[in-house]
Amino acid sequence: MGKIHFINEFPAERRFSYDERIALLRKRKIAQTEEKAKAGGADEDDYGLIEQDEFHYKLKPNHPNGSIYGYKAWSENYCTILEQHPIYVDALDAFTAKGFFFLERLRPAGTKWNPDYAYPDLQAIFDRYQVISGIDNCHHFTPDLQIGFEKGWGGILAELKDEREKHDESHREFYDAEIAVVEHIIAFIRRAGEEILAFAKEERNAQLAENLRTMGEIDLRIASEPPRTFREAVQWSCWFSMVSRTYNRGSAGGQLEDLFNPFYERDVAAGRLADDEAVFYLACMFLQDSRYWQLSGPDEKDNDRTCHLSYLALEAADKLNVATNLTIRVHDKIDPRFFRRSVELLFKNKQGWPRYSSDKALMDGFMRCGYPKELARRRVAAGCHWMCIPGMEYTMNDTIKVNLAMVFEVAWNEMMSGEGEKSAEALWKLYEKHLKIAVDATGRGVMHHLNHQTKSQPELILNLMQHGLVKKGVNITDGGANYYNICIDGAGIAVAADSFAALEQRCDVEKKLSYGELKRYIDADYAGKDGERIRQMMLHSARYGGGDTAGDRWAVRISKLWTSLVRDLVKQHADDPRHVNFIPGLFSWSNTILLGSLLKATPNGRKAGEPINHGANPNSGFRADGAVTAMCNSIASVQPGHGNTAPVQLEVDPMIANDAEGIDKMCAMVRGILKSGNTLLNINIIDAKRILEADKDPLKFPDLVVRVTGFTAFFAMLSPKFRKLVVDRVKSVNPVATTSADGRAVSMKPPQR
Amino acid sequence: MKAFVTDIQRFSLTDGPGIRTTVFLQGCNMHCPWCHNPETIPMKPVELFYREKCIGCGKCAEGCTSGARVMSSREMTVGDVMREIVQDKVYYAESGGGATVSGGEPMLHPGFVAALADACHAEGVSVAVETNMSLPWQTIRPVLERMDFIMCDLKLNLTIPHMEQTGVDNPTIFNSIGRASKLGIPMVVRTPLVPGVTDTVENLHAIAEYIAKMDNIVRYEVLNFNPLVGAKCEALGVENAFADAKPYSAGELAKFRDALADVKGLEVKVG
Repeated sequence: MGKIHFINEFPAERRFSYDERIALLRKRKIAQTEEKAKAGGADEDDYGLIEQDEFHYKLKPNHPNGSIYGYKAWSENYCTILEQHPIYVDALDAFTAKGFFFLERLRPAGTKWNPDYAYPDLQAIFDRYQVISGIDNCHHFTPDLQIGFEKGWGGILAELKDEREKHDESHREFYDAEIAVVEHIIAFIRRAGEEILAFAKEERNAQLAENLRTMGEIDLRIASEPPRTFREAVQWSCWFSMVSRTYNRGSAGGQLEDLFNPFYERDVAAGRLADDEAVFYLACMFLQDSRYWQLSGPDEKDNDRTCHLSYLALEAADKLNVATNLTIRVHDKIDPRFFRRSVELLFKNKQGWPRYSSDKALMDGFMRCGYPKELARRRVAAGCHWMCIPGMEYTMNDTIKVNLAMVFEVAWNEMMSGEGEKSAEALWKLYEKHLKIAVDATGRGVMHHLNHQTKSQPELILNLMQHGLVKKGVNITDGGANYYNICIDGAGIAVAADSFAALEQRCDVEKKLSYGELKRYIDADYAGKDGERIRQMMLHSARYGGGDTAGDRWAVRISKLWTSLVRDLVKQHADDPRHVNFIPGLFSWSNTILLGSLLKATPNGRKAGEPINHGANPNSGFRADGAVTAMCNSIASVQPGHGNTAPVQLEVDPMIANDAEGIDKMCAMVRGILKSGNTLLNINIIDAKRILEADKDPLKFPDLVVRVTGFTAFFAMLSPKFRKLVVDRVKSVNPVATTSADGRAVSMKPPQR
Repeated sequence: MKAFVTDIQRFSLTDGPGIRTTVFLQGCNMHCPWCHNPETIPMKPVELFYREKCIGCGKCAEGCTSGARVMSSREMTVGDVMREIVQDKVYYAESGGGATVSGGEPMLHPGFVAALADACHAEGVSVAVETNMSLPWQTIRPVLERMDFIMCDLKLNLTIPHMEQTGVDNPTIFNSIGRASKLGIPMVVRTPLVPGVTDTVENLHAIAEYIAKMDNIVRYEVLNFNPLVGAKCEALGVENAFADAKPYSAGELAKFRDALADVKGLEVKVG
C-alpha cells in the first residue's frame, strides 16, 4: 500500500530544477495511479486521492441505520477525522494537502437520505420513468475561494463567532457546527505545518529540506491568516480542496486568473517570483487535485481576460500532463495565440484537456432566465458539464437526470396496449403527457430535497465560501444561497428521437411494417434472423446527427418540449421564498449504462439493456462519414438555451492535426462548433489502436488519460464498463462501416484518385 | 440538373483549404488499377456486397436492410446536394474552407458541376474541384473558371506511358494544367505514390520541375499510398491489383522530400 511520507529519497548533494521536480512528481503520480487501479479503481474524477493504509475512520452514527444526519453528527465525525488524519508529505512537492477518503462515503449503502423524510409517492414516479432525482446528493455547486483569500480561516472563524452572538437560538446548531469545523481545520493545518517542519529537520537533501521548511512555515501562517503571496494563495486553495473533499467530495476551482493573478503580479513586481517557479506551483496544484479551472473568457468590459498567467497555467498542465480539468472560455476577442496554444497542447498530449466553452451561448442562455449580463459572466466552468457562479448559487448541477428514453417506453407501452390510433404523432401526444408527469415530479423532488437536506447532510464546508451565508446563519439549502438555479438534465434524447423517426419513416410513411408487427419484434428483443432484419431496417432509419434528418427534427421537438416543461417548474414553485429557478440541460454523465440497463428494446433498433446515447450526442453510427460538423450542428440544435449545457463529446483521431495546417483546421473546428450555438465541447484525442490495446491491458498504459464524460480520468482507473463507454465512442470516430444510414455505399475518401 | 452522387463527405480536411464538404460523383474516364474508389469508375451505379454485414436472412430480393448489399450512388439534384453543403457554412467561414467536387471524374458532369458551383457562390460558399484534367479544354474550362481552388493529378511525367496505366494519354493533361494555371485560380498538383508506377524520384522530380514554372501553383503534394481499398474490391468482386502494397514509411517519404528539395519556387508537401 502507498506511502504517505516521501523524505530522504535523494542524495544530500543532489540539486533539482523545477522541471525535474515536476517530472519526478509525475512519475510518482503514475505509480500511485497504478496502486489505485490495482485497488479497484474508480469511475470518476481522480480527485488526487491517495491510496494508503495508515488511517481508516470508523463512522460514529447517530441513527439506528448506521448513518449520520444533521449538523451535529456531521460536524463531530468530521472534526474527529481532522484530529486523526495523517499528514501526507512529499519533499519534492511545493504543497501538502493530500486527502485519503470522503466522509460522505463512509455511510452504509442506501442511508444517504434521512429516513424521517421519506418520499414514497415521488419515488414510485421516479421508478416508473427512471428519474435520478438528486434527492440526497450533495455539493455540485461552487465555492468562491476569494472569500478565503480575503478573510483566511481565522477571519471566517471570527465572523462565525460574531454572528453566532447576533442570532437567536434557532441558528445555534448551525453556528456551533460551523465553528467546530473551522476550529478543527485551523488546528489540522497548523499540525501539518508543525509536522512538516519536523520532517524538514530529518530531510538530508538541503534543497528539499529548505522546501519543507518553507512549506511548514506557510502552513503555520495560513492556518489562520489570509494568504499574502502566490505560493501561499495556491497552498490555501489546495488546503481548501482537501478539507472540502474529505467532508463530502465537493470542490471546484474557479476563474484561475481572477483568483491568482493579483498574487502573481504582486510577487513578480516585488521580485520574489519567477515564471519557472510560478509554473511549478501551478503544476503542483494540478497534481494535488483534479478540480476544475476556467481560463480566459471576457472580463466585465468584454475585453479578453487572458494574461501571462493563463499561458503559465497551460505550460504547467503541459509539463505535468496528467488528468487536468481545464476549460478555455472562448469568445470573439480571445487572444488567438493563447487559443491556438491550447489546441496545440490538446493534440500534443492527447490527454483530453483542455476543453472549451462558449461565452456567448452560455451568457445568452443564462440571461434568458432573467439574470443581468454581469452575473451571467461570473458563471464559470466548475464541473463535468456545468457552470456556476462561485459563492452565489445552489445548483444541484449534474445530480438530476430524467431518462427521456424511458419516458418514450412508457408512452409506447400505453399506445400499444390501447385501442387508439397507432402513429408517431399519436405516440407524441402520450409522450408529452408522460414527460410532464416525470418533470413535475422531479420538480417536487427538488423542493423536497431543499426542504430537508439540512437534516440529512448540511454543507458545512462549502457553506463557508458563499457570499452572505455566514451572516444569514443557515445551511445553503435553507436560504443560504443568493440564487437557486437548479439544473435538471434530460438523458437519452437520441434514443427517443431516433425511435420516433424510425416509426415515422418505416411504419407511417413507407409502411414497411405495422405497429403490431414491430411490437412483436421489440417484445422479442429483435430475436432471430427475421428480427435482426427488422432491427437493421429500424437502425438504418434517418437518425439524429445525420444533418436535417427526421431524427434531427424529432430531437429538436423533444428538446423544445423538455425545455418548456422544466421552465414551467419555475411557475409551479414560484411561492417558495428561495425563488427557485429550474434550468434544463441535456447530459447523462456516465449514467448511460445504468439508464439503458432497464430499458427494453426500442424502435430505433437498439436492443434491450444496451446503453442510451451519451449526453446530447447522437447514437453511434449516426452517419457513415461520422462527420463532426453534422454531429455538432445537431447538438447545437437541441441546446435548451438557458445557461446550462448540452455538451458535445468529441473523439478525434490525432492524425488529423499532425502539422501546423492541421492545428489551424482544428482551431477553426473548435470555433465553428462553439459559434454554431453549442455551449461546451469535450474532446478526446485518441489513437484508436492505443485505446483498444489499453482496454485489453489497462496497466500497460498507466499514464493514459481520457475524458470520460465531462471529467478526465486515468484510463487504468476505470471499470471495464466505463472503459467500454470510451472504447465504443472511439470506434465510431473513423467508422469502419462503408455504408451510409440510407444504405448507399460510401467512399473511403482517399486523397488519391 | 442531376448527377449520380456516390457520397457527400462533410468535415473533410484533405480536399482543399480549410474544412470542406466533398461531393463524390459517379463515373471516371480513367481506370487506374490503384483507384481507392473503384465503385465510382463506372458511369452508372453498381452494387457492392459487404459479406461481413450480411445477416443471412435470405431476403435480398425484398431489399437489404443491414447494409450488406448497397448501390454505389444515388441520383441527386443540385438542390439536394446544396442542402448538405450549406449546413457547414459556419465551419467554412472559420477555416477558409468550402465545398469540393470530386469523383470519379467530376468533369464528366460539367453542367452539374458548373450549376453546383454557381449555387455555392450564391450561398457564399467557396468551391474547389479535384480533376484529372484529361477531358477536352473546351469542356473543362467553363467549369474551372467557376472554381475558387483547383486540385489536379499528374501521375506520370511525359516520358512514361500513361495510357497503359490509366486508359488515358497524358499530353492533354499537361496541356490543360498549363492552361488552367493561367486562369488566376490557386492550384494544387498532386501525385499519388503508387508502388512500381509513380514512385521514382525521376518521375516526381520531372513533374515538380514542370509545374514549378507555372503560375498560381500553390503547392505540389506527393501523397502516400493509401491501402484501404481491399474491402471495396471484395465488395465489387474485383481483384485488388495492389493487395500486397503498403504505405511508404516515414524514412522513404523523407527521401522523396529530400529529392525534391532542389526544385526552386515550388512548395512541396510529401506524405
